[in-house]
Amino acid sequence: MNSKQLDMLCSAIFLVFGGVMLKFSLSIRHIIPTDVGSGYVPIFLSICILITAGAKLVLTLLDKKPAKAATKSESDLVGGLGTVGLMLLYVIAFEPVGFLLSSMVYLFAQILLMSNSENRKPVLFAVISVALPLGIALLFAYVIKMPLPVGILGF
Amino acid sequence: MEMFTTAIGNVFNPMCLFLIWGGTMLGIVFGSIPGLSATMAVVLFLPLTFGMEPTMGLALLVGLYMGGISGGLISAILLKIPGTPSSISTVFDGGPMAERGEAGRALGVGSIIGIVALIFISPLLAKVCLLFGATEYFAVAVFSLTIIAALSGKDMLKGLLAGLFGLALSMVGMAPVDAMSRFTFGNYQLLSGFDITVLLIGVFAVTDIVQAGIGRRHLADGFEKKTYHLKGYGLSVKEFITQIPNFIISSVIGIVIGILPGIGGSTGGLLAYTAEKSRSKYPEKFGTGIIDGVIASETANNAVIGGSMVPLLCMGIPGNTVAAIFLGGLLVHGISPGPLIFQNSGEYVYGIYLALIVSTIFMVIFERLGLPIFTKLLDIPKHILLPIIMVMCCVGAFSSDSRAFDVMCVLAFAMVGLLFKTFKLPSTPLIIGFILGPMFEENLRRALMASHGDWTTFVTHPISCVFLVVAVVFCTLTVRKNLKEKKAAEAKGEAFDTAEEEG
Repeated sequence: MNSKQLDMLCSAIFLVFGGVMLKFSLSIRHIIPTDVGSGYVPIFLSICILITAGAKLVLTLLDKKPAKAATKSESDLVGGLGTVGLMLLYVIAFEPVGFLLSSMVYLFAQILLMSNSENRKPVLFAVISVALPLGIALLFAYVIKMPLPVGILGF
Repeated sequence: MEMFTTAIGNVFNPMCLFLIWGGTMLGIVFGSIPGLSATMAVVLFLPLTFGMEPTMGLALLVGLYMGGISGGLISAILLKIPGTPSSISTVFDGGPMAERGEAGRALGVGSIIGIVALIFISPLLAKVCLLFGATEYFAVAVFSLTIIAALSGKDMLKGLLAGLFGLALSMVGMAPVDAMSRFTFGNYQLLSGFDITVLLIGVFAVTDIVQAGIGRRHLADGFEKKTYHLKGYGLSVKEFITQIPNFIISSVIGIVIGILPGIGGSTGGLLAYTAEKSRSKYPEKFGTGIIDGVIASETANNAVIGGSMVPLLCMGIPGNTVAAIFLGGLLVHGISPGPLIFQNSGEYVYGIYLALIVSTIFMVIFERLGLPIFTKLLDIPKHILLPIIMVMCCVGAFSSDSRAFDVMCVLAFAMVGLLFKTFKLPSTPLIIGFILGPMFEENLRRALMASHGDWTTFVTHPISCVFLVVAVVFCTLTVRKNLKEKKAAEAKGEAFDTAEEEG
């Protein structure tokens, strides 16, 4: 996508966001007669978002200058989706599986995903993946006195 | 004088000095870990002070407070993650400086001016504070929101959209005044709204990790162990002299923001950063890694500490969360803050002043001695460091409120951050909007309730009127400057790049 298309898409997303926010803001009940109500500022903000996004869209459409072509980056879809996927699994598993186990697995998998054939050292990665969460868990349990989630396995 | 002599005797004994040293060190550790904060450090160690003699207990709390606020700059500079909300603006220039191997220069900034102001002008400033009500605070919020205009880069509309989105995010949860639940969609976890730490971690840190994942093939490119310039405190005498106006202006901003309850160090740092950028002869260099930005942000952050103590000691009004906990500490030790505190508990007040000075000295020494260790962090290869940071981010998010929900929010905000980067929307206005949203709404509603719905209250109150006029003037000047630059660029036949400029 070129810069113009990106700006148009951005404006469209904010127009939808502003519209949805306005819809929900209008349904906020007003309970104190002397107060402007809890819906007042959200309604004001959503209208501001709609106006600003609308203005941005119009200005982008009226802009006669040629759009800048998107810079072709060597983005790695597997790396990106893999990273987001691993993070998603990690945050979901954080409480039910427990900090220790979920962090160990996540760390090892993420380091492995981010490394390349030249710097891939599985033994070192495994040591880091075990030692770091263990150190953090001990610090939180015995020094900071704020235990991290233990999960269904009890550790 | 007798009270001052007693305070010297109390503070300068080995045990008290040890407590200040320990408190400062622990505070720095808490401040430097994203998600842990000065507030958490003071809360955790407050019960420990109950059994201590008042000066000892307060000295420990002072050390924790000072170290906690200052420690945020370590991760802000080295990892580009603000360890505390106060260090947001330190990331803009501290991060790029560290990338260039100048982390040492970026880490040597002090806070004495704030304490001097606390000692000498606190009673005077306390009187001004008494004049502030909801109307004035609303005007201060509006004025602070105009920072968005200055930090929007070259596309003001995009900056405005980002700021409005931040304000919208702050509306989630229970509303002020009537506690109505808004935008919670039946999820009880959203009742308390989003935590600022979680938003910061997601937008600033995790977004970068996802981007690193996308560009993983180039992670090892150009990786080499950097050599850091760690002579002295990173500032030459010449540089120090040229930065004196920056020190003074940023300190004054920090002190004023510290005195005004509810605004906090993050706004102080951002305001000082913006002021220095507007004043600078080379504003285009801000965000690319110059010492001016780091000095402005950190001087204001540290001056906030002194400022926040003014209303706390003179009126019993805490300027921020840590000050509120500190107030609890004072009351536990039988010290009642108020206009009579100097007569009734003078030796403890002077003890706090001295502890602040000693803690500042310890802080500077500890941060300087710790530099070789802190900067070693950057020698860890990115494919190992970034996943470790992700784990620390999740721990930080969890520990901010002991909720696994916050850990999930971190990832959600990382996706927001990624969208912002894709659309070239600046993320700083998002944070400013989020911070100022509650203050803006609560004071607007309170002011209108007090004036029975009369909107002229904002212009009939002189202080409020001044802030609003300054806000309008500041906005107009920024828009004019922006249009002028756009025209100049078009006249030269150059494309007016709308990409964000922040670091």
